[in-house]
Amino acid sequence: MEKMIKYWNKPSRCAYVFVAPSIILLVLFNVIPLAMAFGLSFFDVPITMNTAEFIGWGNFVEAFHDARFLNSLKITAIFTGLEVPVQVLGALIIAALISKNNKRNKLFRAVYFLPVICSATVIGIMWRMILHSNIGFITAILQSMGLGKINFMNTPGLTLFVVSFISIWRSFGISAIIYVTAIQQVSPSLYEAAEMDGAGKVRQFMHITVPSIRPTFWYILMTRFAGALQIFDIIYVTTNGGPNYTTESTVSYIYSRAFSSNSSMGYASSMSVILFVIIMVITVIMYRKMNKEE
Amino acid sequence: MKRKKTIKIKNIMIKIPVFLVLVILALLVLVPVLWMTLSAFKPEKEIISWPPTFIPNLFTFQNFSDVQARINILQYVLNSVIYAGGTTALAIIVNCMAGYAYAFYDFKGKTGMFLMTLATMMVPFQVIMVPLFLVVYKMGMYDSYWGLIIPRVAVAGSIFMMRAAFTGIPKEMAEAARIDGLSEYGIFWKIMMPQVKPAVITLIILSVNGSWNDLLWPMIVTSSTKMRTLANGLALFIGQNTIEYGAAFAGALISLLPMFILYIFGQKYFVEGMSSGGLKG
Repeated sequence: MEKMIKYWNKPSRCAYVFVAPSIILLVLFNVIPLAMAFGLSFFDVPITMNTAEFIGWGNFVEAFHDARFLNSLKITAIFTGLEVPVQVLGALIIAALISKNNKRNKLFRAVYFLPVICSATVIGIMWRMILHSNIGFITAILQSMGLGKINFMNTPGLTLFVVSFISIWRSFGISAIIYVTAIQQVSPSLYEAAEMDGAGKVRQFMHITVPSIRPTFWYILMTRFAGALQIFDIIYVTTNGGPNYTTESTVSYIYSRAFSSNSSMGYASSMSVILFVIIMVITVIMYRKMNKEE
Repeated sequence: MKRKKTIKIKNIMIKIPVFLVLVILALLVLVPVLWMTLSAFKPEKEIISWPPTFIPNLFTFQNFSDVQARINILQYVLNSVIYAGGTTALAIIVNCMAGYAYAFYDFKGKTGMFLMTLATMMVPFQVIMVPLFLVVYKMGMYDSYWGLIIPRVAVAGSIFMMRAAFTGIPKEMAEAARIDGLSEYGIFWKIMMPQVKPAVITLIILSVNGSWNDLLWPMIVTSSTKMRTLANGLALFIGQNTIEYGAAFAGALISLLPMFILYIFGQKYFVEGMSSGGLKG
């Protein structure tokens, strides 16, 4: 026993003891599933999961002829187009307004950050009730203004915008706080010099703040893009893809094909792989552009 | 003198609209949360009356006992505590150990292992969720606490963060302890861990917040009613068409409260932790 302890107490050996748990867990629950996701996408796996029949590119061919899948890609693209600019540009402007450390700004920051601690479930319950056509108080306010009863959660064409708004509501605070942290790192002497030259706040923002926080800008752009392309939980708790699939994102569709009565693990995996490739291509393009600019 | 005055007026002309925008945004966050909180204390009758009220005419705790009668919310709370607590406790040990090794030791295969760890950060959860379910199922951990917890313990982002925290500590400290006869594990636990307390607190908050609010993974890996977590049990509850609104509000409030308390007390770490790269979704 003592020999064993001594053996494993060498720095060169005990290092493996330190990294082993994480490596084993990451391989088991990340690396293997990723490899399986690629493998499964070429198989037809029935719900019993007892057999798997190799069908080559069959799942991929099916996906590109599946109107519901193509629709989900379109919905995801619209959602991303609505959410990303607000998160990346809107949050930056607000962050610049509250970046100075004083009591008022700290209070605003704390408030904007509040939705981050709310689970998607809480957000779903809250907004479904607020926008409810019978009990919602926003519905009541709009009605008293003479706009009539609007059924926010059940109007094709409108509901996607509502869901996008709720999603932005949820994570606007994180983007803003990350920007605030970056803005605070900018050297104050730059602003002092600009002040001397008589540059106004807007010009200081455009010529000092924006160029100085470029890495953060790219970081937010890339993570928000990837996040928006994977939107699921807010949709699940607000509309669950309805009405009539007009808010069904790609991940929502993958989830319902993987874990419901018409389950097909292989088909769901092939759609995941397609989504993965789309995310990767966009990330690589952005990364290249970022490196060129730096 | 005159010039100074015009600048002052100009300043105010900008400051007022800016302040208004900030206040409107704050109200956009606060009003819904406040309305939900107040509604949890309204009788069902008042909730469904038209037009809706903001402040309850009648204060009641009925909704809280209603939600327990409809869904076993106490069991869900317990499951969420076990899920969040178990994941966090194991995550601290596993990720700190790994971060420490990458910061302090040289060993064969270090670069490869570290790169593999970082690479897992690039893979969206949604891509691996189907096979991950199969792996957990084949290991016999489906619909159990182990199935919930174990796959969520090792997190590349946390390992990366801990490595950065440990790198800030001078290596001489480990040398001195080694000369004093402390074992490698003793050095890690007794000397090094206390040095990185702020990072550990950040890690705890991120992990608790993440698993407490996690929806997708518990939905995939559990099936029985008694294994549901708060976030996923409530989501299923509101998914039904016949729901009691008051009970839903009460359930939402119960699920928000622990995070809110954690937020009030750990706000500094909360905000710093989130902005230093541990963000989700």
